[in-house]
Amino acid sequence: MIRLDLARPSRHHWLGYALLAPAVLLIAAIIVYPLFVSIDLSFQNVGIARLDRPRRPFTIANYDRLFASPDFWNACWVTLKLTIVVSAACFLLGLGTALLVDNRFRGRPLARLLVAMPWAVPEVIAVVIFAWIFDSSFGLMNWIFISLGLADRTINWFSDPSAAFAVVATTMVWKGYPFVSIMSLAGLQSIPDDYYAAARVDGASAVQRLIHITIPSLMPVLGVTMVLVMLWIFRDFSIIYVLTGGGPLKATQTLAIMTYEQAFGFHRMGYGAAVGVVTLAICVVAAKLLMRRAPDHL
Amino acid sequence: MRLSLPARLLLYASVAATCAILVFPIYWLFVTALSQPDQLRQLPPKFWPDAPRWEVFGRILAERPILLWLSNSALAALGAVGLSMSVSVLAGYSLSRFRVRGGQSLGLFILAAKMLPATLLVIPLFGIFRMTGMIGSLWSVVLAHATLIVPFTTWMLKGYFDTIPRELDQAAMVDGCSPFGALFRVILPVAAPGLAATALYGFVLSWSDYAYARTFLTNAQGSWTANLGITTMKGEYISNWADISAASILVALPILAIYLFLERYLVGGLTAGSDK
Repeated sequence: MIRLDLARPSRHHWLGYALLAPAVLLIAAIIVYPLFVSIDLSFQNVGIARLDRPRRPFTIANYDRLFASPDFWNACWVTLKLTIVVSAACFLLGLGTALLVDNRFRGRPLARLLVAMPWAVPEVIAVVIFAWIFDSSFGLMNWIFISLGLADRTINWFSDPSAAFAVVATTMVWKGYPFVSIMSLAGLQSIPDDYYAAARVDGASAVQRLIHITIPSLMPVLGVTMVLVMLWIFRDFSIIYVLTGGGPLKATQTLAIMTYEQAFGFHRMGYGAAVGVVTLAICVVAAKLLMRRAPDHL
Repeated sequence: MRLSLPARLLLYASVAATCAILVFPIYWLFVTALSQPDQLRQLPPKFWPDAPRWEVFGRILAERPILLWLSNSALAALGAVGLSMSVSVLAGYSLSRFRVRGGQSLGLFILAAKMLPATLLVIPLFGIFRMTGMIGSLWSVVLAHATLIVPFTTWMLKGYFDTIPRELDQAAMVDGCSPFGALFRVILPVAAPGLAATALYGFVLSWSDYAYARTFLTNAQGSWTANLGITTMKGEYISNWADISAASILVALPILAIYLFLERYLVGGLTAGSDK
């Protein structure tokens, strides 16, 4: 985009800074400073953070312990598994519903509203819904599994490690796919109709139009969307914590849950901060790598 | 292009099936809330209760401090959105209209701030709020939610301001407005739908938070937000799904209402914010 500076920059420079100042001060106070504090905490042996006390001696013990801990590597593995499974499912479901609803039919506004509705359900409420659907004695899912002959007796979803992982993943997909479908729909609507008309004149089939026009045109939007979805899964706290608390046997303990559990469950804030700092580093590196694959954006 | 009849039937059938499956969990929440608790312990499950007990909502409001939780959530969200919007409007305008040294890197930083895990930031914030005696007070949550909202609102508002032609600012200034006057009397009224969408988006972010509320407010029952209250119900009444569902509906309702009435604006805001 050409940057036309109609506000005559030479004269109003100071105003530009003045307008930014409140936001910069606020961000410095509530994001940058706390971020430094947490990095600082991660290099100390701290139980409960007391900022009014003098700083403890510098140590890298937290990181030493972290990289030697099987729990940490387990959390990395769970996070990776969850990110891949949930983002792939969100992608397929989100793009699928977007393509479906993008067709012309009566009642389309209603259908658009409905497919994206889970987006508007707070995470904690989504957890309530799925915790009850997957309830081990009277949950709907057990009834469905037994009626369909997929199980011969009730499954205790929250005490079996892989079942609990599946419940967490299902809940996250349901909560997360609408974002993909909202973004894809917006992307679909920005593709000019002329492209399709021209392709049709040239005799392209519906499948060819999908592969050669729709998907390539959507790629930039989808790339950014997928990075945002992955970051959300990576950092999510509420869904997993309220649903399983990271259990059973740490089967659903992601890095975010481990950070919180160490800091506020076991009151090892220095150690927790170290887990958090590593999580953040992984987020930043992963986002950078993924962004490079979706050029021209961000 | 018109589809053939079988193709149209197939389209309608698949749209209906997709919507039904995806919205079913929300429907099930309503069915559960309206069922008699002992009916929930019957198999096969009833897909519509025999005698829907609509009075459940009145009863649960009387039995539980849900109104207090809702008003705490609303206060926290209003505070966080008010704080965030007042700094973001100015910053977004500056980033959109002025060339400021470091403006580019600030923009990048704001984007990067969206990557911060709340579970990391919550640790130092806990230390800071403990030192300042804010643990247990809604103010802690207002500030913590601002860390979630400011990066989004600043970026979204910059996007909106970018879509407003600069000629408009110039015209206002030629007509004798100061730059502030141009912003407040001309640009903001034009950007009103964008402002509303951005503020609502921030409201949704704040209303949905659980991590910060749990950490700062757990020991102060009078300050519990709606999400925190719901999780305590889930913890204690593991079997009473009907009541939990009814309370959950009351908590989700404000956001669902915002979504149903303002889908267009919200969706516009979501996509405008991330598009570049």
